[in-house]
Amino acid sequence: MRRTASLVLLACAVFCAALSPLLRWYAFPRLARIPANQYQDMVLEARDATLLDYGTMRAKKVPKVTIVQTLKGDVEAAGKIGRTAGRPVVVWDSLSYVQGPDGRMVSKVPERYIFDAHSQDPVHATGEMVDGDPVRREGIEFKWPFLTQRRDYEYFDAQTRTSSPIHYRGTRTFRGLTVYYFEQTVPWTKVPMPRTMPVQGITPESVARTGTTRWYTTVRRFWVEPVTGAPVYGEEIHQEELRGGTLLGGRAKVTAFAGHVKMREDYIGHTVALVKHNRTLVLALTSYVPRASLALGLLLLALALWLEARTRRPQHPEPTQPGEREPLNA
Amino acid sequence: MRALIAAATGLALALALVLTISALGSPSGRTSPKPLLTTVPAHP
Repeated sequence: MRRTASLVLLACAVFCAALSPLLRWYAFPRLARIPANQYQDMVLEARDATLLDYGTMRAKKVPKVTIVQTLKGDVEAAGKIGRTAGRPVVVWDSLSYVQGPDGRMVSKVPERYIFDAHSQDPVHATGEMVDGDPVRREGIEFKWPFLTQRRDYEYFDAQTRTSSPIHYRGTRTFRGLTVYYFEQTVPWTKVPMPRTMPVQGITPESVARTGTTRWYTTVRRFWVEPVTGAPVYGEEIHQEELRGGTLLGGRAKVTAFAGHVKMREDYIGHTVALVKHNRTLVLALTSYVPRASLALGLLLLALALWLEARTRRPQHPEPTQPGEREPLNA
Repeated sequence: MRALIAAATGLALALALVLTISALGSPSGRTSPKPLLTTVPAHP
Protein backbone atom coordinates (compact mmCIF):
# COMPACT_ATOMS: atom_id res chain seq x y z
CA MET A 1 0.00 0.00 0.00
CA ARG A 2 2.78 2.39 0.97
CA ARG A 3 4.71 1.40 -2.12
CA THR A 4 1.75 2.38 -4.37
CA ALA A 5 1.31 5.68 -2.53
CA SER A 6 4.97 6.58 -2.97
CA LEU A 7 4.77 5.79 -6.70
CA VAL A 8 1.67 8.01 -7.10
CA LEU A 9 3.46 10.77 -5.18
CA LEU A 10 6.50 10.38 -7.45
CA ALA A 11 4.31 10.73 -10.58
CA CYS A 12 2.69 13.87 -9.10
CA ALA A 13 6.13 15.27 -8.17
CA VAL A 14 7.45 14.83 -11.73
CA PHE A 15 4.21 16.30 -13.12
CA CYS A 16 4.55 19.45 -10.99
CA ALA A 17 8.31 19.82 -11.52
CA ALA A 18 7.95 19.43 -15.31
CA LEU A 19 5.00 21.84 -15.44
CA SER A 20 7.16 24.67 -14.09
CA PRO A 21 9.63 25.11 -17.03
CA LEU A 22 7.01 24.04 -19.59
CA LEU A 23 4.68 26.85 -18.52
CA ARG A 24 7.42 29.46 -18.41
CA TRP A 25 9.27 28.67 -21.64
CA TYR A 26 6.73 26.81 -23.78
CA ALA A 27 3.25 28.02 -22.84
CA PHE A 28 4.08 31.67 -22.02
CA PRO A 29 5.29 32.67 -25.53
CA ARG A 30 2.24 30.98 -27.02
CA LEU A 31 -0.37 32.28 -24.59
CA ALA A 32 0.84 35.82 -23.78
CA ARG A 33 -0.21 37.63 -26.94
CA ILE A 34 -1.83 40.88 -27.94
CA PRO A 35 -5.40 39.97 -28.93
CA ALA A 36 -5.97 40.36 -32.67
CA ASN A 37 -9.32 42.07 -32.03
CA GLN A 38 -8.07 44.74 -29.63
CA TYR A 39 -9.85 48.10 -29.72
CA GLN A 40 -8.44 50.92 -27.66
CA ASP A 41 -8.75 54.68 -27.57
CA MET A 42 -6.63 57.28 -25.84
CA VAL A 43 -7.04 61.02 -25.32
CA LEU A 44 -4.06 63.32 -24.96
CA GLU A 45 -4.16 67.06 -24.36
CA ALA A 46 -1.78 69.96 -24.85
CA ARG A 47 -2.80 72.91 -22.69
CA ASP A 48 -1.73 76.47 -23.56
CA ALA A 49 -0.43 75.27 -26.90
CA THR A 50 0.59 77.24 -29.97
CA LEU A 51 -1.35 76.53 -33.16
CA LEU A 52 -1.16 77.94 -36.67
CA ASP A 53 -4.19 79.93 -37.83
CA TYR A 54 -4.40 79.01 -41.52
CA GLY A 55 -6.60 82.08 -42.19
CA THR A 56 -3.88 84.56 -41.23
CA MET A 57 -0.93 82.14 -41.47
CA ARG A 58 0.17 83.28 -38.00
CA ALA A 59 0.76 81.23 -34.87
CA LYS A 60 -1.53 81.92 -31.92
CA LYS A 61 -1.89 80.68 -28.34
CA VAL A 62 -4.86 78.38 -27.75
CA PRO A 63 -6.15 77.00 -24.44
CA LYS A 64 -6.15 73.37 -25.52
CA VAL A 65 -5.38 71.02 -28.38
CA THR A 66 -6.76 67.48 -28.10
CA ILE A 67 -5.36 64.36 -29.73
CA VAL A 68 -7.61 61.31 -29.99
CA GLN A 69 -5.70 58.13 -30.77
CA THR A 70 -7.60 54.96 -31.68
CA LEU A 71 -6.15 51.49 -32.26
CA LYS A 72 -8.31 48.83 -33.88
CA GLY A 73 -7.20 45.27 -34.61
CA ASP A 74 -8.13 43.88 -38.02
CA VAL A 75 -8.70 40.17 -37.25
CA GLU A 76 -9.19 39.04 -40.88
CA ALA A 77 -6.01 40.78 -42.10
CA ALA A 78 -4.09 39.40 -39.09
CA GLY A 79 -5.21 35.85 -39.96
CA LYS A 80 -4.16 36.22 -43.61
CA ILE A 81 -0.76 37.77 -42.88
CA GLY A 82 -0.18 35.36 -39.98
CA ARG A 83 -0.69 32.34 -42.23
CA THR A 84 1.87 33.73 -44.72
CA ALA A 85 4.34 34.76 -42.01
CA GLY A 86 3.93 31.47 -40.13
CA ARG A 87 3.46 33.17 -36.77
CA PRO A 88 0.66 34.94 -34.91
CA VAL A 89 0.35 38.50 -36.14
CA VAL A 90 -1.59 41.56 -35.04
CA VAL A 91 -2.69 44.22 -37.51
CA TRP A 92 -3.52 47.54 -35.94
CA ASP A 93 -5.25 50.29 -37.87
CA SER A 94 -4.75 53.50 -35.95
CA LEU A 95 -5.87 57.08 -36.32
CA SER A 96 -4.32 60.10 -34.63
CA TYR A 97 -6.98 62.78 -34.84
CA VAL A 98 -5.95 66.25 -33.69
CA GLN A 99 -8.67 68.73 -32.75
CA GLY A 100 -8.31 72.45 -32.05
CA PRO A 101 -10.02 74.34 -29.20
CA ASP A 102 -13.02 75.11 -31.45
CA GLY A 103 -13.53 71.40 -32.14
CA ARG A 104 -12.32 71.63 -35.72
CA MET A 105 -9.91 69.12 -37.18
CA VAL A 106 -6.24 70.16 -37.20
CA SER A 107 -4.86 66.95 -38.69
CA LYS A 108 -5.59 63.28 -38.96
CA VAL A 109 -2.98 60.66 -39.66
CA PRO A 110 -3.98 57.01 -40.24
CA GLU A 111 -1.49 54.18 -39.83
CA ARG A 112 -1.37 50.43 -40.35
CA TYR A 113 1.04 48.68 -37.98
CA ILE A 114 1.71 44.93 -38.36
CA PHE A 115 3.65 43.07 -35.68
CA ASP A 116 4.28 39.72 -33.97
CA ALA A 117 1.58 39.12 -31.34
CA HIS A 118 4.06 38.00 -28.67
CA SER A 119 7.45 39.60 -29.38
CA GLN A 120 6.12 42.84 -30.93
CA ASP A 121 8.72 42.49 -33.70
CA PRO A 122 7.48 44.28 -36.83
CA VAL A 123 6.13 42.06 -39.60
CA HIS A 124 6.48 43.47 -43.09
CA ALA A 125 3.50 42.99 -45.37
CA THR A 126 1.59 44.91 -47.99
CA GLY A 127 -0.55 47.57 -46.36
CA GLU A 128 1.99 48.67 -43.74
CA MET A 129 1.74 52.46 -43.98
CA VAL A 130 1.65 55.90 -42.38
CA ASP A 131 -0.81 58.41 -43.85
CA GLY A 132 -1.00 56.40 -47.07
CA ASP A 133 2.80 56.20 -47.52
CA PRO A 134 4.17 52.62 -47.55
CA VAL A 135 6.72 52.23 -44.74
CA ARG A 136 8.98 49.48 -43.45
CA ARG A 137 9.08 49.73 -39.66
CA GLU A 138 12.04 48.68 -37.56
CA GLY A 139 11.67 48.36 -33.82
CA ILE A 140 8.53 48.95 -31.80
CA GLU A 141 5.65 51.42 -31.78
CA PHE A 142 2.93 52.10 -29.18
CA LYS A 143 3.84 49.07 -26.98
CA TRP A 144 6.98 47.41 -25.61
CA PRO A 145 7.45 43.60 -25.57
CA PHE A 146 6.30 41.48 -22.63
CA LEU A 147 9.04 41.33 -19.95
CA THR A 148 10.59 44.62 -21.09
CA GLN A 149 14.31 44.88 -20.41
CA ARG A 150 16.32 47.76 -18.98
CA ARG A 151 17.88 48.73 -22.30
CA ASP A 152 17.36 51.00 -25.27
CA TYR A 153 14.85 49.96 -27.94
CA GLU A 154 14.40 51.06 -31.55
CA TYR A 155 11.18 53.10 -31.69
CA PHE A 156 9.36 54.02 -34.88
CA ASP A 157 8.45 57.67 -35.38
CA ALA A 158 5.39 58.07 -37.59
CA GLN A 159 6.13 61.69 -38.58
CA THR A 160 9.66 61.04 -39.90
CA ARG A 161 8.80 57.44 -40.95
CA THR A 162 12.10 56.32 -39.41
CA SER A 163 13.21 54.42 -36.30
CA SER A 164 15.75 55.61 -33.76
CA PRO A 165 16.70 54.53 -30.23
CA ILE A 166 14.41 55.27 -27.32
CA HIS A 167 16.66 55.28 -24.28
CA TYR A 168 16.06 53.54 -20.95
CA ARG A 169 16.56 56.28 -18.35
CA GLY A 170 15.84 54.42 -15.11
CA THR A 171 13.25 52.69 -12.98
CA ARG A 172 10.52 54.78 -11.38
CA THR A 173 7.30 54.31 -9.42
CA PHE A 174 4.12 55.50 -11.10
CA ARG A 175 0.80 55.28 -9.20
CA GLY A 176 1.98 52.23 -7.24
CA LEU A 177 3.50 50.45 -10.23
CA THR A 178 7.21 49.91 -10.85
CA VAL A 179 7.84 51.27 -14.34
CA TYR A 180 10.77 51.78 -16.71
CA TYR A 181 11.16 55.33 -17.99
CA PHE A 182 12.13 55.73 -21.68
CA GLU A 183 12.95 58.89 -23.58
CA GLN A 184 13.54 59.64 -27.24
CA THR A 185 14.51 62.92 -28.87
CA VAL A 186 13.76 63.37 -32.54
CA PRO A 187 15.84 66.32 -33.80
CA TRP A 188 14.42 68.89 -36.24
CA THR A 189 13.60 66.87 -39.34
CA LYS A 190 11.83 67.75 -42.58
CA VAL A 191 8.62 65.71 -42.69
CA PRO A 192 5.80 65.28 -45.25
CA MET A 193 2.66 67.39 -45.08
CA PRO A 194 -0.37 65.44 -43.80
CA ARG A 195 -2.57 64.22 -46.66
CA THR A 196 -5.62 65.72 -44.97
CA MET A 197 -5.09 69.44 -44.39
CA PRO A 198 -7.25 71.49 -42.01
CA VAL A 199 -8.39 73.94 -44.71
CA GLN A 200 -10.61 72.94 -47.64
CA GLY A 201 -8.86 73.36 -50.99
CA ILE A 202 -5.32 73.16 -49.60
CA THR A 203 -3.53 69.94 -50.47
CA PRO A 204 0.03 68.76 -49.74
CA GLU A 205 0.73 69.19 -53.46
CA SER A 206 -0.49 72.81 -53.54
CA VAL A 207 1.65 73.62 -50.46
CA ALA A 208 4.66 71.90 -52.05
CA ARG A 209 4.29 74.16 -55.13
CA THR A 210 4.76 77.23 -52.89
CA GLY A 211 8.11 75.87 -51.71
CA THR A 212 7.00 75.76 -48.05
CA THR A 213 8.20 72.73 -46.11
CA ARG A 214 7.14 71.20 -42.79
CA TRP A 215 9.66 70.51 -40.00
CA TYR A 216 9.21 68.67 -36.74
CA THR A 217 10.99 67.85 -33.48
CA THR A 218 9.80 66.03 -30.40
CA VAL A 219 10.90 64.71 -27.04
CA ARG A 220 8.92 61.53 -26.41
CA ARG A 221 8.62 60.07 -22.90
CA PHE A 222 7.08 56.78 -21.85
CA TRP A 223 6.56 55.16 -18.44
CA VAL A 224 6.39 51.45 -19.26
CA GLU A 225 5.18 48.67 -16.96
CA PRO A 226 7.87 46.03 -17.64
CA VAL A 227 5.88 42.78 -17.13
CA THR A 228 3.23 43.62 -19.73
CA GLY A 229 5.33 46.08 -21.75
CA ALA A 230 2.40 48.49 -21.71
CA PRO A 231 3.00 52.23 -21.36
CA VAL A 232 0.96 53.50 -18.40
CA TYR A 233 1.76 57.13 -19.14
CA GLY A 234 3.19 59.11 -22.03
CA GLU A 235 4.16 62.68 -22.85
CA GLU A 236 5.54 64.55 -25.85
CA ILE A 237 7.09 67.97 -26.10
CA HIS A 238 6.14 68.45 -29.71
CA GLN A 239 7.01 71.28 -32.11
CA GLU A 240 6.16 71.74 -35.78
CA GLU A 241 7.15 74.56 -38.08
CA LEU A 242 6.45 75.59 -41.66
CA ARG A 243 9.61 76.95 -43.29
CA GLY A 244 10.36 78.98 -46.41
CA GLY A 245 8.34 79.35 -49.59
CA THR A 246 5.85 81.93 -50.70
CA LEU A 247 3.11 80.74 -48.32
CA LEU A 248 4.72 82.50 -45.34
CA GLY A 249 4.83 85.94 -46.95
CA GLY A 250 8.56 86.42 -46.71
CA ARG A 251 8.96 84.99 -43.20
CA ALA A 252 11.57 82.28 -42.73
CA LYS A 253 9.37 80.11 -40.53
CA VAL A 254 6.15 79.98 -38.57
CA THR A 255 5.12 77.62 -35.75
CA ALA A 256 2.43 75.20 -36.90
CA PHE A 257 2.09 73.55 -33.50
CA ALA A 258 3.96 73.65 -30.21
CA GLY A 259 2.75 72.03 -27.04
CA HIS A 260 3.40 69.71 -24.15
CA VAL A 261 1.12 66.77 -24.91
CA LYS A 262 0.01 64.68 -21.90
CA MET A 263 -2.44 61.83 -21.36
CA ARG A 264 -5.81 62.94 -20.01
CA GLU A 265 -6.22 62.16 -16.30
CA ASP A 266 -9.20 59.75 -16.65
CA TYR A 267 -7.31 57.77 -19.28
CA ILE A 268 -4.27 57.48 -16.98
CA GLY A 269 -6.45 55.93 -14.24
CA HIS A 270 -8.11 53.59 -16.73
CA THR A 271 -4.78 52.49 -18.23
CA VAL A 272 -3.16 51.89 -14.83
CA ALA A 273 -6.12 49.70 -13.71
CA LEU A 274 -6.04 47.72 -16.98
CA VAL A 275 -2.27 47.20 -16.81
CA LYS A 276 -2.44 46.09 -13.15
CA HIS A 277 -5.01 43.42 -14.13
CA ASN A 278 -3.04 42.18 -17.16
CA ARG A 279 0.19 42.21 -15.13
CA THR A 280 -1.27 39.64 -12.73
CA LEU A 281 -2.18 37.34 -15.66
CA VAL A 282 1.32 37.56 -17.17
CA LEU A 283 2.96 37.05 -13.76
CA ALA A 284 0.79 33.94 -13.22
CA LEU A 285 2.37 32.38 -16.33
CA THR A 286 5.92 33.60 -15.81
CA SER A 287 6.29 33.49 -12.05
CA TYR A 288 3.44 32.51 -9.70
CA VAL A 289 2.38 29.15 -11.21
CA PRO A 290 5.88 27.94 -12.29
CA ARG A 291 7.38 28.72 -8.87
CA ALA A 292 4.49 27.19 -6.91
CA SER A 293 4.51 24.15 -9.18
CA LEU A 294 8.26 23.63 -8.71
CA ALA A 295 8.00 23.98 -4.92
CA LEU A 296 5.10 21.52 -4.83
CA GLY A 297 7.03 19.11 -7.03
CA LEU A 298 10.02 19.14 -4.65
CA LEU A 299 7.75 18.68 -1.64
CA LEU A 300 5.97 15.71 -3.23
CA LEU A 301 9.31 14.18 -4.23
CA ALA A 302 10.56 14.42 -0.64
CA LEU A 303 7.33 12.84 0.58
CA ALA A 304 7.59 10.02 -1.97
CA LEU A 305 11.20 9.30 -0.94
CA TRP A 306 10.28 9.33 2.75
CA LEU A 307 7.40 6.86 2.17
CA GLU A 308 9.66 4.64 0.07
CA ALA A 309 12.30 4.62 2.80
CA ARG A 310 9.70 3.62 5.39
CA THR A 311 8.48 0.79 3.15
CA ARG A 312 11.96 -0.67 2.88
CA ARG A 313 12.70 -0.44 6.66
CA PRO A 314 12.07 -3.81 8.44
CA GLN A 315 8.75 -3.66 10.35
CA HIS A 316 9.60 -6.14 13.24
CA PRO A 317 13.04 -7.30 14.53
CA GLU A 318 13.76 -10.88 13.45
CA PRO A 319 13.33 -13.42 16.26
CA THR A 320 16.55 -14.98 17.51
CA GLN A 321 17.08 -18.73 16.83
CA PRO A 322 16.93 -21.00 19.89
CA GLY A 323 20.16 -22.79 18.88
CA GLU A 324 22.09 -19.52 18.93
CA ARG A 325 21.54 -18.92 22.62
CA GLU A 326 24.71 -18.67 24.61
CA PRO A 327 25.43 -21.66 26.80
CA LEU A 328 24.79 -21.26 30.49
CA ASN A 329 27.74 -21.54 32.76
CA ALA A 330 27.36 -22.92 36.23
CA MET B 1 11.35 -0.03 -12.94
CA ARG B 2 7.98 0.90 -11.42
CA ALA B 3 9.44 4.23 -10.23
CA LEU B 4 10.61 4.96 -13.75
CA ILE B 5 7.14 4.28 -15.14
CA ALA B 6 5.58 6.55 -12.50
CA ALA B 7 8.01 9.38 -13.36
CA ALA B 8 7.37 8.95 -17.11
CA THR B 9 3.61 9.09 -16.48
CA GLY B 10 3.96 12.37 -14.57
CA LEU B 11 6.10 13.87 -17.33
CA ALA B 12 3.71 12.73 -20.07
CA LEU B 13 0.72 14.22 -18.23
CA ALA B 14 2.52 17.57 -17.79
CA LEU B 15 3.46 17.63 -21.49
CA ALA B 16 -0.08 16.75 -22.54
CA LEU B 17 -1.59 19.46 -20.35
CA VAL B 18 0.75 22.24 -21.52
CA LEU B 19 0.51 21.25 -25.19
CA THR B 20 -3.29 21.21 -24.99
CA ILE B 21 -3.51 24.59 -23.26
CA SER B 22 -1.04 26.12 -25.74
CA ALA B 23 -2.84 24.64 -28.74
CA LEU B 24 -6.19 26.00 -27.55
CA GLY B 25 -4.63 29.45 -27.11
CA SER B 26 -6.91 32.44 -26.87
CA PRO B 27 -9.77 33.07 -29.32
CA SER B 28 -8.94 35.77 -31.87
CA GLY B 29 -12.51 37.10 -31.94
CA ARG B 30 -13.87 39.49 -34.53
CA THR B 31 -12.83 42.93 -35.70
CA SER B 32 -14.55 45.51 -33.56
CA PRO B 33 -17.42 47.28 -35.34
CA LYS B 34 -16.52 50.52 -33.51
CA PRO B 35 -15.02 53.24 -35.74
CA LEU B 36 -11.68 55.02 -35.46
CA LEU B 37 -12.62 58.10 -33.45
CA THR B 38 -12.88 61.62 -34.86
CA THR B 39 -14.57 63.04 -31.77
CA VAL B 40 -13.27 63.37 -28.23
CA PRO B 41 -14.74 60.65 -26.00
CA ALA B 42 -16.17 61.86 -22.68
CA HIS B 43 -14.54 59.00 -20.75
CA PRO B 44 -12.46 55.83 -21.38
